[in-house]
Amino acid sequence: MRIVATDCGSTTTKAILIEERDGVFRQTFRGEAPTTVEDPFADVTLGVTNAVTELQELSGYKLIADDGTIIRRASVNDVDGCDMYISTSSAGGGLQMMVAGVVREMTAESAKRAALGAGAIVMDTIASNDRRKPHEQIQRIRELRPDMVLVSGGTDGGDTKKVIEIAELIAPARPRPRFGSEFCLPLIFAGNKEARTAIERIFSGEGFALSIVDNLRPTLEREHLGPARERIHDVFLEHVMAHAPGYDKLMEWANAPIMPTPGAVGDILQTIAKGRAINVVGVDIGGATTDMFSVFGGIFNRTVSANLGMSYSISNVCAEAGMDSVLRWVHLDMDERELRNRVKNKMIRPTTIPQTLEALVFEQAVSREALRLAYVQHKAFATTLKGVQQQRTVGDAFKQEEAGKSLVDNMALDLMVASGGVLSHAPRMEQTALMMIDAFEPEGFTEIAKDSIFMMPHLGVLASVNPRAAMEVFEKDCLVILGWCVAPRGEVRAGKPAFEYTLTRGGTTLAHGQLVGGEMRLVRFALGESGTLEVRPEKGLDMGAGAGKPISREVRGGSVGIVFDARGRPLKLPHTQAERRACVEKWLKSLEVYV
Amino acid sequence: MAKAYTPGLKVTARTTYRVRRLLPVTGDVRVKVGELVSAETVVAETFLEGDVFPIKVAGMLGANPNELAALMLKRVGESVQVGEVLARSKGIFGMMKTEAKSTAAGTLESISDSTGMVIIRGAKTPVQVRAYVAGRVAEVIAGEGVIVETDALFVQGIFGVGGETWGPLVIAVKSHTEDLREELIVSSMKGAIVVGGARMTAGGIRRAREVGVAAVICGGIDDADLRDVLGYDLGVAVTGSEKIGITLLVTEGFGDIAMAERTFQLLLAHAGKLASVNGATQIRAGVMRPEIVVALEARGSSEIFTGGATAGILDIGTAVRIIRDPYFGFLGTVSALPEQPAVLGSGSKARVLEVALESGERVTVPRANVELSST
Amino acid sequence: MQIILSVAAARMCAATACAALCAPLCASPSASPPTPPLSVTAADVPWDAGGSIEISWVPAANLGSATTWLVERSEIGADGTSGPWVTVAEVAIATTTTTAAKLSHTAPYWFRVTAVGSDGSSSPTNSPAHTTAHRNFFIGEKLPLFSAILTVCACVIYFILAARKGRPMKVRRIAALEAIDNAVGRATEMGRPILFVAGIQDMDNIQTVAGITVLGHVSKTAAEYDATIEVPTSRSLVMEAARETVQASYLAAGRPEAYNADLIRYITDEQFGFVAYVSGRMVREKPATCFYMGCFYAESLILAETGNSIGAIQIAGTAESSQLPFFVAACDYTLIGEEFMAASAYLSGEPDQMGSLKGQDAGKAIASVLIIVGVVLATFAALSPGGFATAALGALRGILGS
Repeated sequence: MRIVATDCGSTTTKAILIEERDGVFRQTFRGEAPTTVEDPFADVTLGVTNAVTELQELSGYKLIADDGTIIRRASVNDVDGCDMYISTSSAGGGLQMMVAGVVREMTAESAKRAALGAGAIVMDTIASNDRRKPHEQIQRIRELRPDMVLVSGGTDGGDTKKVIEIAELIAPARPRPRFGSEFCLPLIFAGNKEARTAIERIFSGEGFALSIVDNLRPTLEREHLGPARERIHDVFLEHVMAHAPGYDKLMEWANAPIMPTPGAVGDILQTIAKGRAINVVGVDIGGATTDMFSVFGGIFNRTVSANLGMSYSISNVCAEAGMDSVLRWVHLDMDERELRNRVKNKMIRPTTIPQTLEALVFEQAVSREALRLAYVQHKAFATTLKGVQQQRTVGDAFKQEEAGKSLVDNMALDLMVASGGVLSHAPRMEQTALMMIDAFEPEGFTEIAKDSIFMMPHLGVLASVNPRAAMEVFEKDCLVILGWCVAPRGEVRAGKPAFEYTLTRGGTTLAHGQLVGGEMRLVRFALGESGTLEVRPEKGLDMGAGAGKPISREVRGGSVGIVFDARGRPLKLPHTQAERRACVEKWLKSLEVYV
Repeated sequence: MAKAYTPGLKVTARTTYRVRRLLPVTGDVRVKVGELVSAETVVAETFLEGDVFPIKVAGMLGANPNELAALMLKRVGESVQVGEVLARSKGIFGMMKTEAKSTAAGTLESISDSTGMVIIRGAKTPVQVRAYVAGRVAEVIAGEGVIVETDALFVQGIFGVGGETWGPLVIAVKSHTEDLREELIVSSMKGAIVVGGARMTAGGIRRAREVGVAAVICGGIDDADLRDVLGYDLGVAVTGSEKIGITLLVTEGFGDIAMAERTFQLLLAHAGKLASVNGATQIRAGVMRPEIVVALEARGSSEIFTGGATAGILDIGTAVRIIRDPYFGFLGTVSALPEQPAVLGSGSKARVLEVALESGERVTVPRANVELSST
Repeated sequence: MQIILSVAAARMCAATACAALCAPLCASPSASPPTPPLSVTAADVPWDAGGSIEISWVPAANLGSATTWLVERSEIGADGTSGPWVTVAEVAIATTTTTAAKLSHTAPYWFRVTAVGSDGSSSPTNSPAHTTAHRNFFIGEKLPLFSAILTVCACVIYFILAARKGRPMKVRRIAALEAIDNAVGRATEMGRPILFVAGIQDMDNIQTVAGITVLGHVSKTAAEYDATIEVPTSRSLVMEAARETVQASYLAAGRPEAYNADLIRYITDEQFGFVAYVSGRMVREKPATCFYMGCFYAESLILAETGNSIGAIQIAGTAESSQLPFFVAACDYTLIGEEFMAASAYLSGEPDQMGSLKGQDAGKAIASVLIIVGVVLATFAALSPGGFATAALGALRGILGS
């Protein structure tokens, strides 16, 4: 079995070759070439051919035919050609959508979840209670140029009036699609089934290509996003992709439907979470945006933080977090005015890379804040359903919990996957690990890994046709295991004992020690090793078994090792600058972050 | 021979400049191919569809939405004024009738029998597109706009704020290293395109706005001063629609940095001529840089330039500008292009090049951190 | 405060002195009638509303067979003649003071004290001069209450000023009130009405008032979401108040045209007639959300169970402690007692209301601390009488006016 997969990004097209050797799937070669969607090439397949040609040169197999297409071999014994070709795409700014629903926290939020889960960027959410006057909503709809609109609202048999009202606002506003002014704007209706006739009538006029799917919130107690997500993928292929240059050919080449890149990343993370029965958080920090994925208790969520990124949006990160928040992670002397100008210079010249250590330290400080802010947004969005009836007993009198609690629980989190330039290209693995720990503040035992060459999109599509291959490659080649973060929940007292640890393998003690509040320690534990780690937290500190209770767990080694973090959760840094700097410097030194 | 592509900003003494002047929606083109136009000439105009105002008439009357059609006094397509009665309820025995008055002026577009909402479409707003540069209409795109062509001095800046403007080019400083200070702006500069040398100071910008200068062009600007001008901290470099009454354009970047001497000399040579400036910058997919265009008498130039981002080949001897600290803003020529990646001070591995600075010093920088300095 | 202290101290001293004096003497038997008190004094009780005079006397060194003191008064009429002797009190022999109450504050009185024993009575000793019970401007015994009011007011004013200055007032999250948006949203999505019951009592009940306050917030949210809200009432006045409130909310939400007065109606004053109507309405209309905010009795469980059976989100609030368990078990969220009363401040978030809420909390905190201190001292005083705890408890009693 030989599989060629490509991901057509907005700047580069990345190709990988996956081969089955001795019954195991491995990723063997990779190649890349500039994406060719825009002028003067205006044909995405040129870039694909170039990237696959690189695979061909490296592997020695002939993969590209003389006419530029990808060769399929007749039998697995042939030397040349591949058995399958799959691709994802985020070229041209990805899939941009507008969503609408009746109540912002209910159907509108479900619609947003469906769109984000399908890999779209949600430009705006229109709801009857978004505190905008109808004409303001119309003005906003007119300004946006979405690729697609998703309208939801009302439970089945529930409200029809408000859904129709929203449809009546969208129809006269006539949002124009981004590509081609003459093509119809795809509109998906996934609301109350009793409103379908009225919706059909409203959008029967020209300018809209209406499709109707099952309600994504048939009752408030149940969210049913599948049909809407699938239809978004279909419409993406039929309407949006068909209008992008060269995609008709690409679709013909591919053995599986072409997916939006983030949608594919979400799929692979869901496959992994399900396969290993764990809770996962994945992040992809880019130049302009940060994508955050999570699977908690089998529920998948994705958010896109539109203006949190490391180059185009770096200035926005500094503005949103505040320069003080960024500089708290910096242990070197830096002039703020100078830094502000440097941030703006990076914004206007986004392709530059840090040359000095000082510049690297600053960029990594910014990335912590970008990740932290994106995670805050993600936590606020990834919640249980709102508007749901609660069942109680008399015992609940003093602990009535609200619906709509965040699903994200750092204690239950098992695996964090880092990807995106600043994380995956950091010169030292320790830097990536510490950036993730500082930004996400994981609790208890959490494994940290990074996506070696951003292979997750390819594997996401592969998972839809060959889940076993996707899982195997993900575990062996895609993820680079950095190690574990072991941190107690609760407030620590500086200098007072926080917890004790013992790392054993088959009865032999490999490491043993004690940490005091505010301390961090790195215990090297090489890749491929495994052992049992027992931790005994002090009173009031929780490692996952309850406050003050010891816990032990199997751990695997990684390129960094085990990071013991006794800084307490939530993470608090000293108030004065001098103390803070001393603290940060101590942490950086004990983790060998910058050497 | 080691070569590499690298981005750069275009600064050229003479080029054939072609600019597309298009309407946002289809409309009428007002000029013909070959016609000579000035910067102010209206080349195309149209009307934008009016705003939409929904009014919940059924609710105002306390009537059922499906009865609304019978109660309407205005029909679809009729024009209505603010305060005009749209519909009247039947009342009780002809008494106690309630009226629904329009809160917007325009044309009645639709009446809904399921929500009781009436939609009024406001008056159309005229949109005009001007030529922006003096030149000749090279092409007419029916219903959309024109392409204006001219021989021009063309300078791309790195960043700007504010939209399109034009005026006479005035040089306010003696050298390319001099900051544009407050006292250098005089009242005769009203409506002019003022060129400074190095950084535009906060005082200089304030004075320029008071005097009514059309645009200020300098080497650099301080982030804090930009924030003061805009009133907010710019997060993403997508600009051009700010309403600040002046267009600001920097050719090099943020901080204390002198304008490249060649750029300054080119602008100096055309002092007094009419220049067009656009501060709009967009640094994302479809890069757009701010620009200064000075139309020249036609002499026929072989090179045609249509704006947008440029790139060129990096080779030994190529003039480059270093665009990242610690050598930010330094100019020099490429003196070596090693094949193998090198380890940087930050610990990262990257492909590098060696630059011979104007001072004679040779420094090694990542290839990503240079741009072509004069193409 | 000073005065009360000294009075209390004087009482204590007198009592101990007397006990010390008579303890050895009472034991010796004697057949002669008791000895009268050496002297009797009467003084107007200061800082009172008039009508009380305190009488004290000095017992003789040898009391003889005396077991009680008989205290009598005589009123001096308008003509200057004294009236008959009337018993004021008969007190134990260890006591040397008593207070004559319920006196006229215009007439002067004479007092006399007689020692009474098993062998008859002594001759009475008269007070040297007549005494009148004067009315005072301040009533001393109310002073602790007055100072408590001042303290609470000061707290409230302080917190209001602080809140106005923008100091954040931290108030515990109340899930039931946070859930209002969700509950109204549910009704909107399901296209069903919201039912609001403001209890079965009239507007003179503070709980009904609190319920109407919450109704104001719920109806404003309903107006914003464009959901329908029904308010059946069991009192005509409550209906009027509810109409006013809901109309004001629709106006504030900018949708006066959506207000429909017919949905807020009077049903009946009869408790179970009302309940029968509301339950029937619930079963037929199946509202998506039910609010029960006010004073409830037996109907609490009937309403809440009916609401639960139709799958509505239910939010209840009452200060009736006997009904709370029913609401907690059958409803999604319940406002318990104080939470319900604090709801208006919580919902409005206005600095004045938040400040007063905080100020009241401070007052309650002070009261709680005093109660705890009192309980601790009383416990120790009981365990080791006469120790430090006893003295401290006495002082505390003195401060708080026993």
